[in-house]
Amino acid sequence: MSNTSSDTAAVETLEWKVRIPKKRIKDKAWMDLKKRVIDTGLCSHCSACAFVCPVQGIISLPDRGIDFPDWEERCIDCEGCLRVCHRWEYTPLSDLGEYIELIAAKSKRFKGQDGAMVTEFMASALEMGIIDRAIFVGRDEEWRPKIYHIRSVEQLRDTRISGTKYSYASVLPELKEAIRVTKKGIGVVGTPCIVTGLRKIQKEFKIFKDKVKLVVGLFCMENFYYDQLRAYLEKKGVDMRKLVKMDITRGKFIATMPDSEISFPVKEMDEIVPHGCERCTDFTDVLADVSVGSVGSKVGYSTVVVRTEIGKEILDYIREKRYAEFSNVIPDVIDKLIKLKKKRIKNIPGEYLTVAYKKDTEK
Amino acid sequence: MIKIKTPKLKTLESIKLHLDALFTGAKEAIKPGTITIEYPRERRKLPDNFRGYILFSPERCKSCWQCSFVCPANAIKMELASNNRYYPSIDYAKCIFCHFCIDTCPVTALKPTKIHDVVYKDLEEMYTPTELMVKPPKIVREEEVTVEYVMDGDIILKKSKELDELFPEIEPHVEIKEHSVCIDPESCIACGICEHSCPVEAITRETIGQERHLRIDIEKCYGCGICVRSCPMHVLKLVRIREEKA
Ligand SMILES: Cc1cc2nc3c(=O)[nH]c(=O)nc-3n(C[C@H](O)[C@H](O)[C@H](O)COP(=O)(O)OP(=O)(O)OC[C@H]3O[C@@H](n4cnc5c(N)ncnc54)[C@H](O)[C@@H]3O)c2cc1C
Repeated sequence: MSNTSSDTAAVETLEWKVRIPKKRIKDKAWMDLKKRVIDTGLCSHCSACAFVCPVQGIISLPDRGIDFPDWEERCIDCEGCLRVCHRWEYTPLSDLGEYIELIAAKSKRFKGQDGAMVTEFMASALEMGIIDRAIFVGRDEEWRPKIYHIRSVEQLRDTRISGTKYSYASVLPELKEAIRVTKKGIGVVGTPCIVTGLRKIQKEFKIFKDKVKLVVGLFCMENFYYDQLRAYLEKKGVDMRKLVKMDITRGKFIATMPDSEISFPVKEMDEIVPHGCERCTDFTDVLADVSVGSVGSKVGYSTVVVRTEIGKEILDYIREKRYAEFSNVIPDVIDKLIKLKKKRIKNIPGEYLTVAYKKDTEK
Repeated sequence: MIKIKTPKLKTLESIKLHLDALFTGAKEAIKPGTITIEYPRERRKLPDNFRGYILFSPERCKSCWQCSFVCPANAIKMELASNNRYYPSIDYAKCIFCHFCIDTCPVTALKPTKIHDVVYKDLEEMYTPTELMVKPPKIVREEEVTVEYVMDGDIILKKSKELDELFPEIEPHVEIKEHSVCIDPESCIACGICEHSCPVEAITRETIGQERHLRIDIEKCYGCGICVRSCPMHVLKLVRIREEKA
């Protein structure tokens, strides 16, 4: 049988070992995850568990979160979900993280939420041949998040694909399929929970470390369940079909329609902020290769935090090709939000934090 | 546009061609030579590698799926049989008679025939499940004579009373022995789906403390590839058994 991805001399082994985590309860692994992470409201809804579940029993629902309805019959107790969950053993991340360059930028080629720099980075990575496929969160006509596998720069001109959707999207479960078909590698865009989940997957499963070449992270205060967000917005008079943009800036949620705009303080939405977001302290997506956000730069620009060599290589390419205009960042505003989000540490009961985290903060 | 011109012939050539034509006409009028075979009373002798209807021997098949993978027309579907094994079925509405399936079968479970004249009433009927592939289809045959075309400058029809064999013997393929290996142990979940899918218990998984030990026994593994297809992380692969050094 021929294997298309035999570019590297593969190991061929007949005996191998796999380390598995120590379960906390005697029941099947799913119950361990459910009791410790989901029922306690710790779950970030990153969907890493749904990605790994070999029987595809774990699902992410648009109205409440992660579930495994028929787990009693179908869970095979493999503990894969425990291995990839970044909150089963929780080491909260925060601050601005490591970076090589912090700059404001605006793409000349694409239209996006802010400066379309997320789109620009992925497009440039495709052009440079670093990746041949990128996973994006687009939307349907009612703003339901919809995953797109992007294979060419042209596809990114669709404004349904760029832009922010304030609803959880099942990005990680798409990885398995993407990894099978990619030759050069794939790019992934995601909120801090998605990126942290992805990094955990990469740590546990080598092929994803090898094949996921670029991770663009988004700044994030919180996200919502689609059904709850929709119900909320409709109550406010928003027609999801007419909506052209949603945005949160300066403490306001703004829903833009072709002939009108509805806005209200985000504070009002506290009741529908998922528990998992209330227990997240990472605003700037510290584990990404490049983080992009709206705060910290003037209107129409994205704030770009280039953290790794690969990110820097792409930024240099964008500069060389003059694909973007650049400007300065106002770090104080970013700092304010970093601090605000860091306060959420108080929402995480001490017993759920890893020993490593506790030691680190004692210093 | 290319225009075809009338060939310019010399008078002598022209007369010769006309005479040839008149001669052929006269010959056909006296002793007509037809090259049409009187089907179905006569049977044409077909070459032994003629690609016709395909027969299947389940007792040889090891459910490796190669035939369904190779089929360029997507005509072969693997169907779950009552013994929990997968066997091919052929949709003759799609089959292009390339016989790649026969060529690719490592155990000669598929065999060619010279049957080319099966009649179906509709498209659905052309779908031939495994059971029907085991025996040749029922055809009422009337042939008494075998006709063979012999090319000898002209076409000569050689007729004989002996009927041509419809089921040529093919040489059994040299079996390619394969077994499963893990090509990426660092991406394995150790979920055990391979262990459960293996029909001959060649894969074992044992939990020792916080470790799962997986093992493929190549003495038992006969390379059916079911584990390869069922592995959710695609870390298994079939490889050929290395030739023993002489
Ligand atoms: C839920 C959420 C909350 C955010 N909160 C803040 C915030 O508080 N402060 C701040 O400065 N910035 C926040 N952002 C980031 C900001 O809205 C912009 O996405 C960012 O500035 C990039 O803009 P851009 O024009 O460069 O991106 P674009 O080029 O428009 O690309 C946007 C990218 O975001 C991806 N995306 C959209 N929705 C989702 C989703 N639900 N899940 C995963 N990926 C998605 C798309 O795939 C697309 O690639 C948030 C983003 C999201 C998705």
